[in-house]
Amino acid sequence: MLRKLNLIIMNILRSKGKKRLVLIWTFLLFVATVMLIPFKIVEVKMLPGKNNDSFSIHIDLPEGSSIQQTQRVCQCVSQYIQDEKEVTDAEVYLGMGAPLDIAGLVKGSHFKNSENVAEVVVNITKKHDRDEPSYLMVQRMRPIVQQSCEPIVYGAKIKFVEAPAGPPTLAAIVAEVYGSDAMGIRRLASQIEAVFNKTPGLTDIDILHDTIYDKVEVRVQSVKISKSGLSVKQVNDILYLALEGMSIAIKNSTTYNKQVPIYLTLSPQTKDFKDRDLRSIENKLSSLKLMNQKGMMIPITEVVEIVPIKSNPGIMSKNLHKMTNVVAETDMVSQVYPLMEARSSILETLSDSYEISTIGLFDLELKDKESGLIYQLLWDGEMKVTLDTFVDLGGAFIAALILIFLLLVIYYKSFILSGIIMLGSFLSIIGVILGHYITDLFIADTFFLTATSLIGFIALIGISSRNSLLLIDFAKSLIVDKGMRPKEAIVYATITRATPILLTAVAIILASTLLASDAVFGGLGIALIFGTIAGVISSLMVVPVLLDNSDLEKHFHCDEDGIRCKENIGELEEER
Amino acid sequence: MQNHQPYEPVNIAGKLARYFLNSPLTLILGLFLLAIGYLSLILMPREEDPQMVVSGSTVIVAMPGATAKEIEEIIVKPLERKLKEVKGIEHIYGNAMDNVGIVTAAFYIGEEKEGSNLKIYDKIMQNMDILPKTAMNPLIKPLDIDIDIPIMTIAFYSHDQSVNQTMLYDKVQDIQHQINGLPNVAVTSTKGGHKHQYNIQVDLNKLSGYNLSMGQIVKSVESLAYDVPSIKTHTKNGEIILMSVKNAIDSAKDIGNIIVAQYGGSAIYLKDIAKVSDSYDYQNFKSAKICIREDGQFMNQLNQVTLTVSKLKGTNAVIISDEVKDELEKYKDQLKKQGISYILTRNYGERANEAVSELVMHLVISIVIISILLIFALGWRESLIVTFTVPAILAITLFVAYLTDQTINRITLFAFLLSLGLLVDAAIIVIENIHRHYHSSEAANESVDETLIKATDEIGAPTNIATLAIIFTMVPMAFVGQMMGAFMKPIPANVPVALIASLFVAYIFTPWMAKILMKKPDFEGEH
Repeated sequence: MLRKLNLIIMNILRSKGKKRLVLIWTFLLFVATVMLIPFKIVEVKMLPGKNNDSFSIHIDLPEGSSIQQTQRVCQCVSQYIQDEKEVTDAEVYLGMGAPLDIAGLVKGSHFKNSENVAEVVVNITKKHDRDEPSYLMVQRMRPIVQQSCEPIVYGAKIKFVEAPAGPPTLAAIVAEVYGSDAMGIRRLASQIEAVFNKTPGLTDIDILHDTIYDKVEVRVQSVKISKSGLSVKQVNDILYLALEGMSIAIKNSTTYNKQVPIYLTLSPQTKDFKDRDLRSIENKLSSLKLMNQKGMMIPITEVVEIVPIKSNPGIMSKNLHKMTNVVAETDMVSQVYPLMEARSSILETLSDSYEISTIGLFDLELKDKESGLIYQLLWDGEMKVTLDTFVDLGGAFIAALILIFLLLVIYYKSFILSGIIMLGSFLSIIGVILGHYITDLFIADTFFLTATSLIGFIALIGISSRNSLLLIDFAKSLIVDKGMRPKEAIVYATITRATPILLTAVAIILASTLLASDAVFGGLGIALIFGTIAGVISSLMVVPVLLDNSDLEKHFHCDEDGIRCKENIGELEEER
Repeated sequence: MQNHQPYEPVNIAGKLARYFLNSPLTLILGLFLLAIGYLSLILMPREEDPQMVVSGSTVIVAMPGATAKEIEEIIVKPLERKLKEVKGIEHIYGNAMDNVGIVTAAFYIGEEKEGSNLKIYDKIMQNMDILPKTAMNPLIKPLDIDIDIPIMTIAFYSHDQSVNQTMLYDKVQDIQHQINGLPNVAVTSTKGGHKHQYNIQVDLNKLSGYNLSMGQIVKSVESLAYDVPSIKTHTKNGEIILMSVKNAIDSAKDIGNIIVAQYGGSAIYLKDIAKVSDSYDYQNFKSAKICIREDGQFMNQLNQVTLTVSKLKGTNAVIISDEVKDELEKYKDQLKKQGISYILTRNYGERANEAVSELVMHLVISIVIISILLIFALGWRESLIVTFTVPAILAITLFVAYLTDQTINRITLFAFLLSLGLLVDAAIIVIENIHRHYHSSEAANESVDETLIKATDEIGAPTNIATLAIIFTMVPMAFVGQMMGAFMKPIPANVPVALIASLFVAYIFTPWMAKILMKKPDFEGEH
């Protein structure tokens, strides 16, 4: 095999046309593979899904919903969970968050404490005993459960939450809507939600703000109160006591190990209102009576007025600016492409009522045409982390390139030689991208170019430069010490060094095969496997061609060092 | 070439090889390295995901009666501005609702936790005067990712109808205390429990029928349910007499017998107008349920109480979860008699152990595959030598990781897997060169030692530079910011160490083992 390689390289190096052909083909291949990314043939994502042994379902009803309504939705969700044969057990936490996990931490599970929320933890069989990865299971269940359980209570949202493969984020896509006017933010947020709803690939869409719901306000008539000899406190207390209940005393128990409160309220039969309308509220309140200083019993309705009002939604801010989040998850697709699509559709649909301009790379500034108020739409969530990470990794990559180049320049004292090595190692990108394309063809779901692929690529620069280094170093010692002719030296060095280069490459490929099967680090594995192959080919074919094209003797400083390379050549040939 | 000079190594590679080639220290050093590596593997805490330093605090200020708009203006905005003064905060989140304002400060990833918490506490305490008089004292709750996230959750439930929710909760609380006493357990908490409570449920119709008010009921109950401390008095002889006044209420029946009002001699008891029961805090809307598959069939949804257990930072999740499991086992029979069962609904210790074991397995498989490959490519002796260098390199890396307070987690092991392909390289290159020199004509006139040193020395310079190049690709990765940077930190932290270790091991042990294992072929002057 090595002899064949010898012939091939010799063959290429002897003909100028073939040398040019190798370089042109390499260049074309390089351009073609890099183009796979902008043409979305190889898709980019932060981190792929992770196959977990459990996932959670977060159920959010509109504010003002009762625990019974929440329970009804949970019941429905539970039924679907029980139909899954891989589920081992499920825990429902009504009115609170489930025990905190890393995803819950950023989604604020630990602050959940109201009747309209619930979380369900679903434990499934161990991943080795299960064919379907958890992320595909979630993808399959999500539309079915949402379609049949969300309509039970109007406005209910059911979100499927998986443990993230990497660092947790609030959601895959987060649109932060900033502005000075709360109602304006509310309107814009729902417009963005509508756009998200129409964007394919986005699920679990929600606006993270309080819904405005109907409330009744009991207004105390101050004149009537003072005339009847009652106090506002009495009114407040009686309402609270009768309808909400209050612990009125504590009993130190001998039978139980804790203090036992004595809790007073109306019985459920007499407490519950007949209906939500004003009349039944008034009816109920009129039967609640207060005793005044003279010992007379006065119905509450005598001293108060009952007015229906709207609830006050909470006001959220980030970094001192009023803000509302519109969130969405992505369903097995990269968050990059739905975001771009949603963005362009926002530009399209909202331009009727807003003047839209771009700030930064993706963020938008919207100016209301009627009121002239300015809103901002900033993207956050996994998308922002992805962008930041890729920018950081790109920076790390450039820094690595510069460091290696400088190292080589110091070692060889030649820019051209160092450049050849760098170029040779950079070509491993062909393998990285092509590898992702090939893997994507063979597996069922999309194989993304992820942050770990990029880590693999950065490592490859070092690995491939080692191949070229060993080759050039050997060629140098052949030329300088033994006085071989450059062309022969290159071929001889290539063949001699091919064994360790191939061996180390195979070692890397074998070590990476097991990486490639991992959901998260698959990208790293694939990048290393195919990148190494490309790197080896580039070191054994392209680097020799480039070396041959450059004036090797000059770069090895034959003359400066006083070693007369060319004279030695003669000696060597005599020996033969 | 008859009286040739002994080969003088020019590179650190050759020098190391020469020094250790015949030194008795080499064997001891090798064994020592393996020992410290093994110890580190045992001692290092295992977890699934790497630890991230995430700091943040939440300030909660309640002001009953204020609307969301008021809260925003008088509590949230001033607090946000004050927190803006603190250095190291990345984002400030405000949330103004009716009655309460919440401000959360999130620090940059990697900001030290204790210091950050202190800064927030200081800032709030210094500026208590900006809060309105009617507001309640601010509550400052620091975020602690280590102890906030439980590593284990255990659900207790009962098929037995007679076991009510409060009994279940009492039992869980007993166990909770025992488990909290285990070493390195930080926080235990319960979810879904219901407390004991005497419930007085007044019938509104009867209340108006007797012409009573709720206030009267409150007064009469309060007057009887009153506790005083023991009374200490003295006799004339100076002895102590202790008197304790027993609370008049001892059971739900006692409460029912409280007289609420008297109309012309006939007493109205509380039980006449209300239902009094010894039950649970039903006004607490929070509850937890569970459904479990038993024998392939899901049982009905049952009430459950979840016990959560979290560990202290830097401790071994695997050991703690085993201890908790053992402790629970002690109560199993006792619980069974009472009709209570439990299942583990989360066990990060086990998951960490599985993830780590699986990756260690992968590492071993990779090493075996590579050594088989080398048998074919170079011969079994050479393959054996390369295979032996791997544990030595990993041992050094593990030990350094242990010294720098790292844990064994998914990412650390991925760093090892990633470096595995790289770290055999140095050994392969050395052994390949030794192999080549052994079979070349020049070596015929040299002693074995000389050939070994020369072969090692020859590839020293390019190998050093090449390894340095790979290290250079890893170093900038340490400067990747945000959570992702913190998450993958084990890669830039461990791969360079493994690579440097691989160089030293290749230069020190490869020639040494080559001398023992490999035979120099006899040359009879053939080229």
